Amino acid sequence: MLEKKQLEKYLSACMRSEADFAEIYEQFETDETISMLNGEVEDVNRITISGIGIRLYKDLQSVYAYGNETDEASVMKLIEEVRTAIGQKEEGPDVVLERVEYENRHPVRIDFEAVPLAEKADILKRANDAAMAADERIVKVSSSLLNVRQNVQISNSTGRLIGDTRVRTRLGVVAFAKEGDNFQSGSDRPGAGMGLEFYEINKPEDSGKEAAREALVNLSARDCPSGQMPVIIDNAFGGVIFHEACGHSLEATSVARNMSVFAGKLGQQIANTCVSAVDDGTIPNAWGSENIDDEGNFQKRRVLIKDGILTSYMIDQLNARRMHMEGTCSSRRQSYQFEPTSRMTNTFILEGNATFEELFEGIEKGLYAKKMGGGSVNPQTGEFNFAVNEGYMIENGKISYPVKGASLIGNGRDILLHIDKICSNLKTGQGNCGSRSGSIPTDVGQPSIRVTSITVGGTANE
Amino acid sequence: MNKQKWIEYALQEGFSDFEIYQSLSSEKKVTWYEGQMDTFVTSRVLGTALRGTYQSQMVNLATEDTSDDQMERLIRQMKEQSAVISTEETAAIAAPAECEETVSKKAWVRPGNELIKKTLAELEEKIAKADPRIIQVIHLSWNEEDSSREITNSKGMRIFEETHVQLLQAGAAAASGNEVKNDYRAEVIEDLSAFDTDAFAKKLAEDVVSKLDAVQLESGTYPVIFEKGAMTSLFAAFVDLFSGDLIGKGISPLRDSLNTKIFSDLITVVDDPRNTDAVMLANYDDEGTPTYRKVLVDEGVFKTILHSSRSAARMNMTSTGNGYKGSYTSPVDVSPFNCYIVPGEKSLDELCADMKDGYVITDLAGLHAGIDFVTTNFSLQCSGYWVRDGKRDYSVSLVTVAANFLEMMKQVTAVGSDLDWKYHSIVTPSIAFKGCAISGK
Repeated sequence: MLEKKQLEKYLSACMRSEADFAEIYEQFETDETISMLNGEVEDVNRITISGIGIRLYKDLQSVYAYGNETDEASVMKLIEEVRTAIGQKEEGPDVVLERVEYENRHPVRIDFEAVPLAEKADILKRANDAAMAADERIVKVSSSLLNVRQNVQISNSTGRLIGDTRVRTRLGVVAFAKEGDNFQSGSDRPGAGMGLEFYEINKPEDSGKEAAREALVNLSARDCPSGQMPVIIDNAFGGVIFHEACGHSLEATSVARNMSVFAGKLGQQIANTCVSAVDDGTIPNAWGSENIDDEGNFQKRRVLIKDGILTSYMIDQLNARRMHMEGTCSSRRQSYQFEPTSRMTNTFILEGNATFEELFEGIEKGLYAKKMGGGSVNPQTGEFNFAVNEGYMIENGKISYPVKGASLIGNGRDILLHIDKICSNLKTGQGNCGSRSGSIPTDVGQPSIRVTSITVGGTANE
Repeated sequence: MNKQKWIEYALQEGFSDFEIYQSLSSEKKVTWYEGQMDTFVTSRVLGTALRGTYQSQMVNLATEDTSDDQMERLIRQMKEQSAVISTEETAAIAAPAECEETVSKKAWVRPGNELIKKTLAELEEKIAKADPRIIQVIHLSWNEEDSSREITNSKGMRIFEETHVQLLQAGAAAASGNEVKNDYRAEVIEDLSAFDTDAFAKKLAEDVVSKLDAVQLESGTYPVIFEKGAMTSLFAAFVDLFSGDLIGKGISPLRDSLNTKIFSDLITVVDDPRNTDAVMLANYDDEGTPTYRKVLVDEGVFKTILHSSRSAARMNMTSTGNGYKGSYTSPVDVSPFNCYIVPGEKSLDELCADMKDGYVITDLAGLHAGIDFVTTNFSLQCSGYWVRDGKRDYSVSLVTVAANFLEMMKQVTAVGSDLDWKYHSIVTPSIAFKGCAISGK
């Protein structure tokens, strides 16, 4: 990371321009992925990422330059490019930086870089063996262990100099089950903003068993019927419904330009009164947490929806200007190769008071979506979709048979209004969210919920 | 980075061979919004990947810090990595091979910033005025990207290839009552000064406005045409079916299908990294193996498995020059390059006329999640239009299409003539199918 004096020199140079704000983002990251197939280590891939991004604002315009050659001549060349693009000036204020110190909310106990590779490979082996042992129909297991240490330092022309270290780990297990010609898969991908101590609580064996269980269920799954029906979406990764149907449409990236179905709706009811939802980047050691956002502001908890009323958007500093509102410390990016923008962290629907059994009451025919896959949304039209990885038909209020090949689609404008029951079993699941500023770790989450009607896409017509 | 010094040091440390892959990419991007430049992005990124064989295992490492004082530490790390790798199949560092290089036909003219801004300003105005139902120009950007890659190894290979691409993208939103639709259009442009802004604005406006007043279809099974854009997305999502890595590992559903009928007679698939109609071409893959044209599927029969050196070793075959890296940080994987379904004779209009009544899918969403590669089942959100008596009738949205890809590709009724490479490296014409399950009302 660059020294304070050097940064002051660079930022002062940036401000000798038409810019009213300048920022330097530095990143030094080590990633390590170990991959295993059927108990054999296939690859170990280590990556060192080291780069810098320089951003200037002039009113609502932004200019961004990035590179990974951080010697003075290369950095000054980037600065010249951004000054030229925004308009050069001979004079400008000298920037004086003051380092902001704080207490790390996400301490790590077992540093992955201090642990021998063989011990890390053993985490995969434990998951692999548990999946293989689950059933003789499990014929193949693929797994990977990702460990990341991302160091960032952010300085800007307001004098702020602050850093953060984000350590993350994630285990991915995919089990393949075979019965005759029927070949199916199941997966489990837990992760956290933790070191390897994560696997003391989240046993790799459990992930192996879970992946195998899902693959085996899918062996007996029938084609999913299509059409509109009530759907119960289970907790944890089921929260992807909120992430897609609503979360992206509350990001300033779309709201600030009136490209969201929720633009101009603050204070209005956008969800059933039983729905409250938050985006909270402060949860200790959660997958989507960090001490500071990627503009150097302390992460916080944002209440997005309270009792069905829209209470907050997620806003970065540049869009705060466009929206004439305060930023919400929501700026994130994959790396120095992306200009940051408003993004989610750990986003979830809060608990209600229904029991799991109550969700099923009165449903003659519906879908119980136990495990969700990913999805996507068009924030401007509100249309969203997401995949069901493990689902069951509900018949006469009871879970009936497993189904495969289902997706759920709808419009964010009305889906939240159709949530009529929420359980008290809140749980989160880990995902990688892709958007304008790249792929970032986010937690999705919710208790089990019931949606009174949603379009289910399947292959069986009834 | 003194590459020779790194290679010599690695050999001295016990590597039997060693390779340095470097990519250099630089970008210029201008976006435009409400009458002024919105963002300007410029970059220069040098990425380095090292790989070498140590104690019979191939080891990979990627870094952006290649100062020579990192050499000993990184080579030591690679040796540590080799100790835990237990798989028997390994990639091979290639010796240089003679090959005649194909030269791109593209004649890029780099525009100055003033021309870029003038074009974007003009486009914004023209799109906004193209139709009264256009409510917003939501995206306008100009991208120029230069990228090069250099492979140097201990067997004497030294390969250098570079590419340049210029891309203009725009998006617009249109409204009818409470209904809002948006659409995007992208075009590869060799010479911006010769670019027809009127035609581009008109087409984008027509496309987005045509999405309005959309209805949901009744759930059912209908004859379907996947228009070229939607078909390209779907085919690209399943193109790893031909990957020798996934076939060798027994994960691809085509694992036991070589030389058997997998698709309709009407489908022929070609992979040709040297195709000069495509935006980019590659004379070598990322292992330095010369590339060549190959027929993957010949009138429905699966003829060629794509291979890198490693996947080929697993199946006792030879590399097809399809060992590519997603980026310098990724290990070499198997991937097609300029892969396409060979076009047929009929235009999209003729396909619609032949279908008489059915559904044309123009857009698919959720492809990263809504497909199950292992079974090839998919269920995806889609939009498009209904065809009645062979002609476009009304727009359709918020429905899903679900099928099994391998089954569906056996039910092809016609392949269109409208192959358009645009900015893609995997591309198909429009294709008509007997029937797919549509879920709506």
